[in-house]
Amino acid sequence: MLKKGDIALVILLVVAVIAGLAGIRFYRGGMKGDRIAVIKQENKVIREINLDEVQEAERLSLTGDYNNIILIEKGRIRFEESDCPDLVCVHTGWLDKTGSFAACLPNKSLIMIKGEGEEVDGATY
Amino acid sequence: MSKNKKMVLLALFVAQALVLSIVESFIPVPVGIPGVKLGLANIITMVVIMFFGLKEGLVVVIIRCLLSSLFAGGPMIFLFSVAGGVLSALVMYFLHSRLSRLFSTIGISIAGAVAHNIGQILIALVTLQTLSVLSYLPVLMISGIIMGCFVGLCSMFLSRTLKKLNILN
Amino acid sequence: MLLMIYVSFILASCQQNTPAERIGTYMGTVITEKVYGKNAQKAADEVMEKIAELEAMMTIKDADKQSEIDKLNDMAGVGEVKLSRDSISVLGKAIEYAELSEGAFDVTIGPLANAWGIFTDNPRVPSKDEIDNLKSLVNYRDISINNADSSAYLARKGQIVDLGGIAKGYAGDVAVEILKAKGVKSALINLGGNVVALGSKPDGNPWSIGIQNPRAPTGEYIGIVKVRDKAVVSSGDYERFFEKDGVRYHHILDPRTGYPADSGLIATTIVADSSTDADALSTSVFVLGLEKGMQLVERLDGVDAIFITEDKKVYITEGLKESFTFKDESKEFTYVEER
Repeated sequence: MLKKGDIALVILLVVAVIAGLAGIRFYRGGMKGDRIAVIKQENKVIREINLDEVQEAERLSLTGDYNNIILIEKGRIRFEESDCPDLVCVHTGWLDKTGSFAACLPNKSLIMIKGEGEEVDGATY
Repeated sequence: MSKNKKMVLLALFVAQALVLSIVESFIPVPVGIPGVKLGLANIITMVVIMFFGLKEGLVVVIIRCLLSSLFAGGPMIFLFSVAGGVLSALVMYFLHSRLSRLFSTIGISIAGAVAHNIGQILIALVTLQTLSVLSYLPVLMISGIIMGCFVGLCSMFLSRTLKKLNILN
Repeated sequence: MLLMIYVSFILASCQQNTPAERIGTYMGTVITEKVYGKNAQKAADEVMEKIAELEAMMTIKDADKQSEIDKLNDMAGVGEVKLSRDSISVLGKAIEYAELSEGAFDVTIGPLANAWGIFTDNPRVPSKDEIDNLKSLVNYRDISINNADSSAYLARKGQIVDLGGIAKGYAGDVAVEILKAKGVKSALINLGGNVVALGSKPDGNPWSIGIQNPRAPTGEYIGIVKVRDKAVVSSGDYERFFEKDGVRYHHILDPRTGYPADSGLIATTIVADSSTDADALSTSVFVLGLEKGMQLVERLDGVDAIFITEDKKVYITEGLKESFTFKDESKEFTYVEER
């Protein structure tokens, strides 16, 4: 009942579907729902990290007008230490939700977790 | 076959395609674009192409789409179903008449179903003016394979029955 | 080969649904952008550049650079200063709102703001005499604008214009113009809490904007407002404040008293078509208080507001009844539906 061409067609289509899905995943740099943290200093991107794929904790230091130490763990990130005068960055604590961010204005550095927030798209404050 | 008989038969086919169209509009499609349909009516398209030819197939498709959009849906539905239906008819005819050595009715129906979905995506692309609809291609390809099998089986049964009944000689 | 065309189609679709995101630190705060569409990245970049420009024009007392407004302030009582079209626009709007709010909003608040030092590391409580003296320098009517040659003049020596209560709002409107000019139909910009929602989200739904709980850490809300093509701006006593001898002094000064506004409100939110209006109004109604604030908002077209009082009650204007959802996890606030 099934002929050569049929099988070839189905195989081609299945390959196409897989290629398409892989392409989407690759482009997004992770599965939907992954938390990608972006670290910026003086408005330049220093690093992007997929928090959900972090194996070991890591520390990153940012030096500008002041010094920040950023602690990266699986699923979360924060400013750990800083010598800036207000320490707002450190007091913000752990970031683990998409859309959340912490900033050290004196040092012009910030950390943000890219992506859509779950409940709200933005917040006014 | 006399001209009158042919006209009556084709009209019957249009009616049946129309019913299938209406039935499938009750089945929800997992795609965010309004107007996208499964393609059940391709069963009729396949059979008409098998027994008559491309011209007749296209006529049945276009009239079916016109009527179906008049009854429910409006001009948007017409565009979507006609794009899917025509592309599907062309592909199925091409495979059936040239490459039937390589493809069985099931294979041809799968190709037709996928073509049907691609046609709909292309129209969505033009009308919604955004490339983001293309992200639905993988999902629709999978559904095309599944629908194609189903449509193919139905077409096979239908054509066998019609041959036995000797209506179309 | 067909496969390649097919895959590139899929990737193109991803591009449309994935926003161009940018963050930057300007105007003393963090500015984030989420822009969708074909020219999203270019549009987002252009917006950031323009915001950097606006910052350079309007920020005062930055040790490194002297802005146009610094010049205007330096020449107070002396002479006119040529200003960019942007600064002239903002000054014009500022005067409009000063009149509308009967002086509750006044950008000549500069000398008082300095005295309190709230945006610096050394805030203090000025003496009553000091406040009385400086109050006399606060008068928006002393700003004169010459539209024809794009210049402005501050009548008395010692006067200081501080655009802090309206600059971010203006930046929001400018951002929207740039985005629209680039064909963007969907974007969300947040300038340090001043939210501007352009169009709907790519899936057609409205943007959901959380309203910060004034007495809880950042990220906890008392409600959510769903909007399309609106600006949502808040003012509150929780943003910048210091405590001395058990009293909390916040950053929204009442130009008429010289002290932080004591109107019975702890937070206000304005939802309006224009971000400049929303920014100026959120400060204005905070200073005016619930009754007068409500009256002012109800007189204006296309403007709605949320008021949160000291006794933790939440009031909203009619226009928000459909789009506002009260959602207070702290359970400390009461939503007052009928007034």
